[in-house]
Amino acid sequence: MSNLTTGSFSIEDLESVQITINNIVGAAKEAADEKAKDLGPLGPSTWPGLATYRDDWNLKLLARYEPVITPMCDQCCYCTYGPCDLSNNKRGACGIDMLGHNGREFFLRVITGTACHAAHGRHLLDHLIEVFGEDLPLKLGQSDVLTPNITITTGQRPMTLGEIKPAMEFTEEQLTQLLATVHAGQESAEIDYDSKALFSGSLDHVGMEISDIVQIAALDFPKADPEAPLIEMGVGTIDKEKPFLCVIGHNVGGVTYMMDYMEEHDLTDKMELGGLCCTAIDLTRYKEADRRAPYTKVIGSMSQELKIIRTGLPDVIVVDEQCVRGDIVPEAQKLGIPVIASNAKIMYGLPSRDDQDVDATIEELKSGAIPGAVILDYDKLGEIAVRLTQVMHPIRQAAGFRTIASDEQMKEWVDKCADCGSCYLVCPEELEIPEAMKHAKEGDYSYLVDLHDQCIGCRRCEQVCKKEIPILSVIEKASQKVIAEEKGWMRAGRGQVSDAEIRSEGLNLVMGTTPGIIAIIGCPNYGDGAKSVYYIAEEFLKRNYIVVGTGCGSMDMGMYKDENGQTLYERFPGGFQSGGLVNIGSCVSNAHITGAAQKVAAIFGGRTMGGNLAEIADYVLNRVGACGLAWGAFSQKAASIGTGCNIYGIPAVLGPHSSKYRRALIAKNYDDEKWKVYDARNGEEMAIPPAPEFLLITAETWQEAIPMMAKACIRPSDNSMGRSIKLTHWMELHAKYIGGMPDDWWKFIRTEADLPLAKRADLMKKLEEEKGWEIDWKRKKIISGPKIKFDVSAQPTNLKRLCKEA
Amino acid sequence: MVDTTKNTKLFTSYGVTTSKAINPDMAAKMISKAKRPLLVVGTGVLRPEILDRAVKIAKKANIPIAATGSSLNGFLDKDVDAKYINVHQLGFYLTDPAWPGLDGKGNYDTIIVLEFKKYYINQVLSGTRNFSKVKSISIGKDYVQNATMSFGTISREEHFVALDELIDLL
Ligand code: SF4
Ligand code: SF4
Ligand code: SF4
Repeated sequence: MSNLTTGSFSIEDLESVQITINNIVGAAKEAADEKAKDLGPLGPSTWPGLATYRDDWNLKLLARYEPVITPMCDQCCYCTYGPCDLSNNKRGACGIDMLGHNGREFFLRVITGTACHAAHGRHLLDHLIEVFGEDLPLKLGQSDVLTPNITITTGQRPMTLGEIKPAMEFTEEQLTQLLATVHAGQESAEIDYDSKALFSGSLDHVGMEISDIVQIAALDFPKADPEAPLIEMGVGTIDKEKPFLCVIGHNVGGVTYMMDYMEEHDLTDKMELGGLCCTAIDLTRYKEADRRAPYTKVIGSMSQELKIIRTGLPDVIVVDEQCVRGDIVPEAQKLGIPVIASNAKIMYGLPSRDDQDVDATIEELKSGAIPGAVILDYDKLGEIAVRLTQVMHPIRQAAGFRTIASDEQMKEWVDKCADCGSCYLVCPEELEIPEAMKHAKEGDYSYLVDLHDQCIGCRRCEQVCKKEIPILSVIEKASQKVIAEEKGWMRAGRGQVSDAEIRSEGLNLVMGTTPGIIAIIGCPNYGDGAKSVYYIAEEFLKRNYIVVGTGCGSMDMGMYKDENGQTLYERFPGGFQSGGLVNIGSCVSNAHITGAAQKVAAIFGGRTMGGNLAEIADYVLNRVGACGLAWGAFSQKAASIGTGCNIYGIPAVLGPHSSKYRRALIAKNYDDEKWKVYDARNGEEMAIPPAPEFLLITAETWQEAIPMMAKACIRPSDNSMGRSIKLTHWMELHAKYIGGMPDDWWKFIRTEADLPLAKRADLMKKLEEEKGWEIDWKRKKIISGPKIKFDVSAQPTNLKRLCKEA
Repeated sequence: MVDTTKNTKLFTSYGVTTSKAINPDMAAKMISKAKRPLLVVGTGVLRPEILDRAVKIAKKANIPIAATGSSLNGFLDKDVDAKYINVHQLGFYLTDPAWPGLDGKGNYDTIIVLEFKKYYINQVLSGTRNFSKVKSISIGKDYVQNATMSFGTISREEHFVALDELIDLL
C-alpha cells in the first residue's frame, strides 16, 4: 500500500516507462482528512461504520420507539434452504425468526432507496465535474453551512464539486457494507437491522444532499430563493396544438441538453417541454437562479404517467431513472410515441443508438422501425429528443393518435361490463369500479369522474377484466373535463433553507411559538386521493406552521385552488417562516429538510456539527417541533428518506399503504419509564410528556393525520407560550377532525401557563374534577398534580454523556 | 381407486395463512364467548347504514369501541363507549400483554374489525396474528386474510343483511 495522497512523485532510474494513475484508492479521503485538521471541533463519529451510532444513539432511540413489525407474508425465500414458514415468529432453516427477517425486509428497502439516491448523486457528480471541472464552487445561497448532512456524517465541509468526492466514496463504501448484511446467515436480530436501517437513512440524506447541491451549484438552480418563480402545472396547461416532449423520472442531467437545444434554436415557444415526477421539478429549476421567465412545465406526479400517455398528447417520451413505470414502451407504442431511454439504469431492452448519426436515428424512430432507443450521449440526446418531437407531432396528429376515445366507443366499453367485481378486488386503492360502471351504463358518468383523483393509473384492473375493458381509459375519458381544468401553480424548488432564515426562526421553533415544521414529501400513492395533501397543507398554513414540501407532494399541493381561484403557492409566501409554504425541490432536496433541522441545532443551538450525529439528533428530537408527512409513500426511496428523518429525531406520518413497508416505530404512550430524559445541567432524570409518540406510523385518513402531526410537534423544550400554542392547535384539530377532546391532553400540562389561553378556566376545572389536581382558584394557579415539571433552563437530552455531573 | 387427492397439505408455506371464513352465526358465537372484546372500526363506518349497525352491535353485546381513523365523530352522540386510537398504534399495543387497554382494565382477547380498506387492516392484523394471542374477527364486506376469522367478500347489500343477522344473534 502506498501512502500517497494527491500531488506529484518521482521514481528514479526508470526510463521509457509510462505510469498512468487514474485514482488512488482512499487518497481523496486522506487528502480531505488532512484538510479537516482546520475544521475546528469535531464530534466522536466522523466517517461512521455499521456500529458507530448503534450504542450511542440508535438503540436509545429504538428503546423508546419500538419496531412494530407487520409481515407481508409468512414466508422467507432468500436462500435454497427455504422457503421457510416463519409464521408466529418461527425460525427458518438458517435460524432467523419472523421478526429478524422482516427487519431485514424493511432494511433492504431502506438500503435500496439509499443506493438510488447515492447512485443518482454519483452520476450527477461525475457528469458535472466532467463538464464544469472539480473547482466549481458550491454556491448554494446565503449560507455558511453548505452541507449539513455531509458535515455531520464525515466532518468535511466541501466548498467545490471536487471536494465532495470523499463523502461520495464513503457513502458507496458503506452501502456495500450494509448490503452484505442481507445475505443469509448474516445479521439476524431485528433490532440490529433497525439500527443499520437508521444508519442507512443517515447516508441517504448524504446521497440526496450531494445530488441536489451539485445540480444547484452547476446548473444554476434557485439558491435558497424564497421568491423562486411560479411554474405552470398540470396537463391542462399543455397547448394541444404544439409538439409535446414529455420527460419522466428523476435525473435532470439529460434534460438540460434538451433545454439548451431548444433555447439555442429558438424553440421555447414553439413546443412544450413538460415532465412527470422529479425530473419535472428539476427541469423547472434549471437556470432559474436569476428568476428568468420559465417555459417548461410540471405535468404531474408519478401516478399520472399512464394517464398522460393515454391522452395521446406526448409526441416523444424520454425516461431517465427512478419511479419510471415498466410499461412505458408498450403503452407508448400503441399510440405511436417513440421512447428514448437516457440513463443506463433503465434501458428497457431497447437498441442503443449512441454510435449512430443523429439524422439516421431520427429517421429510424420516426419510421416506427424500433419503438425507441437508448441514447446516453447527452449531446445527441438533446438534439434528437427535440427534433424528433417536432417530426412526430404532425405524423401522430394525422394518424389520430392525439385524440381520445369517442363517446360511442366509451358507451360500447361501459356496456360490456358484467359487474363481476374482479377489478375491485385487485385495485390497490379499492376503488368501486363496478359500481361506477353500473351508473355509467345508465348514463351517469359522475361516479367514474370521482375515481379519477384517487386512481394511481396502475392498470391492475385492466389486466383482470375478462371483458377487456380499458378501465383506466374509461375513467380518464369520463374525466376529460376535469382533466382539462387541471391547471395549477408550483413555486420552483428553491433549494436549501438559508442560515439567515434559520437564525430568524430558530428561537420560535425551539420555544414552540412557531408551532412546528410540517414536511409534506414523497410519492402519490395516497389512500384517499391527491387532494388530501392540499387540505393538510392548507390547514397547517392557516395556523402558521412552516410547511415545507418536496417531490410529488409539492406538486399535488399546488394542483388545487380556493374559491378565489388561487393555489396555495399564490396564497402563502415561499420563505422558511411562520405560515410559509416552502417548496424545497425534488426528492433529493429532502436532504435540506433534515438540513434545516440540523442547522437549527448547529446555528441556533450552537452544537458542533462535524462527526456529531447523536448530539445533533438529540437536540432535534427534544427541541425542534417538526413532523414529516409522506402521505403517498410507495417507493423504497421514501422508506430511506423517512428513516433518515427518524435517525435525526424527526417523526413521520405515512399513508395507510405504508403499513406494507412492514416496520413502523411506535412508542408506548402508557409506559412512564419510556418518557424520561436527562437534564444536561446535572444528569438528573426528568419526566417528559409522551411526544412525539412515534417516529414512523401510518394513519388511515388525511383527517386523522392532521391532529397526529400537530401532536407530534410537541417537544419537551417548549416554553409555556409555545406549549400553550401547540396544545391549542392540536386540541382544536382533534375536535375538528376526530371529535371531542383528546383523552390525554392533560399529560402535556406542566403549569397553568401551558393551557390553551382561550379555554384556561374550563380546562383547569376539568383538571380539578377529572384528574384531582389541586387548583388555587384565587391566583388561578395549579398547585399540584402534573407529573412533569416546567423549568425554563432545563436541558433535556437522551445522551447521558452530555450531562455535567454524569 | 386409491384416493390420491385427500392430503394436499403443503410441506412448506407459500404466501400467507388464510383466515377461516365464517357466517354471521359463528361471528356472533365468537363475540359472545369473548372475555375482553373490542369493536375496532375504521373510517368507513361513517357510512350511515354501517354506523347504525355498529352502534347496535356495541350496545347489544356491550362492547367498547376503538374508533380508529377519523371515525370517532360518528359515535359521540350515540351513547356508546367509544374512544379514538390510531389503528397501527392499536395493533402494536394489542401485542403487549402489559397494555392497560382503552379503559385501564387491561388488554383484550378478541377484536372485531369493521369497515377498513382491506389492505390496511390486513397489514395491521399481520402483526397481531404473528406476535400475539389476540383473536381477530373481521365482519367487514371484504375477506381479510390475516384475521383469525372473517366474512368472505360480499356485496354491500349482502353485508347489510349479514350484519343484521349478526345483531339478531347477539
Ligand atoms: S434465509 Fe433463512 S429463513 Fe430465509 S429461506 Fe433461507 S433458511 Fe429460510
Ligand atoms: S388503474 Fe386505477 S382503477 Fe385501475 S386498478 Fe389501478 S388504481 Fe385502480
Ligand atoms: S373486471 Fe371488467 S367486467 Fe368485471 S366489474 Fe370490472 S369492469 Fe366490469
